[in-house]
Amino acid sequence: MTEDEIRKEEQVIERSKKDPRAFGELYEKYFDRIFNYIYRQTDDEELAGDLCSQTFVNALNNINRYEFRGFPFSAWLYKIAGNEVNKHYRKNKGNKIFSIEELKVRELVEQGTDDWDEELITQLIRYMNELPTDMIQVLELRFFEDKDFKEIAFILDMTESGAKMRTYRALDKLRTNFNLKVKYDG
Amino acid sequence: MGKHEIRLRRQRMSARGSDRYRNYNAVLKQHSNEKRIKQITRIFTFFLLIAVVIIIFMIVTRWEKKQSAKPQSKINTSTLLVT
Repeated sequence: MTEDEIRKEEQVIERSKKDPRAFGELYEKYFDRIFNYIYRQTDDEELAGDLCSQTFVNALNNINRYEFRGFPFSAWLYKIAGNEVNKHYRKNKGNKIFSIEELKVRELVEQGTDDWDEELITQLIRYMNELPTDMIQVLELRFFEDKDFKEIAFILDMTESGAKMRTYRALDKLRTNFNLKVKYDG
Repeated sequence: MGKHEIRLRRQRMSARGSDRYRNYNAVLKQHSNEKRIKQITRIFTFFLLIAVVIIIFMIVTRWEKKQSAKPQSKINTSTLLVT
């Protein structure tokens, strides 16, 4: 995000504190991203729609408390969305779901071998099922949402070094177990 | 940590798919409802607090009255006994 974009967003936030209708601009801007983020963690369109609405209602209810801390406004929304998803799973006592697009996985990894077979994908999914949930959350934000480690740390309430450590550990395992090259891991 | 399940999605979510759930008016409505409930709760809590303070004040004054009345009656009985 450029300085100008951040300044504009700050103005919209200030206006939203006085008039909730002004928040509509931010809603339109971030709706798809937040919806997809929740959908990826629920694999249920209806539920993602409900949790997404609740995320924006919560954001609007607490907009007066929002302070710029060097992160884009979207980071705050991601944090609220994550809390909503966790609240849902706590309430329903179910296993957390991560629904990952095959296309994204293919984009993410380059194979050591030429053919990309179904068996490899199945193994990859099995491997990801064995990783700790917090590691998957970090990977999701890093590779599917393109967040930097500082932002990930803010969203998941952890230290930046903790987020980095989890990512590198998961990637190391991926490299050694599957002979895969991850396209970007910086 | 906790347990999780990884699912592979063959198809990408289209923008149209999420559009079905995009409704800012509903968000605004829910926000104003929650704001109203919050205000009502705040007012109710305020009056409840005042009522509790009044009740405590009444109990204390009654107890004080009782305490001030007790020594007087004692004197009276003692005088009665002497006579």
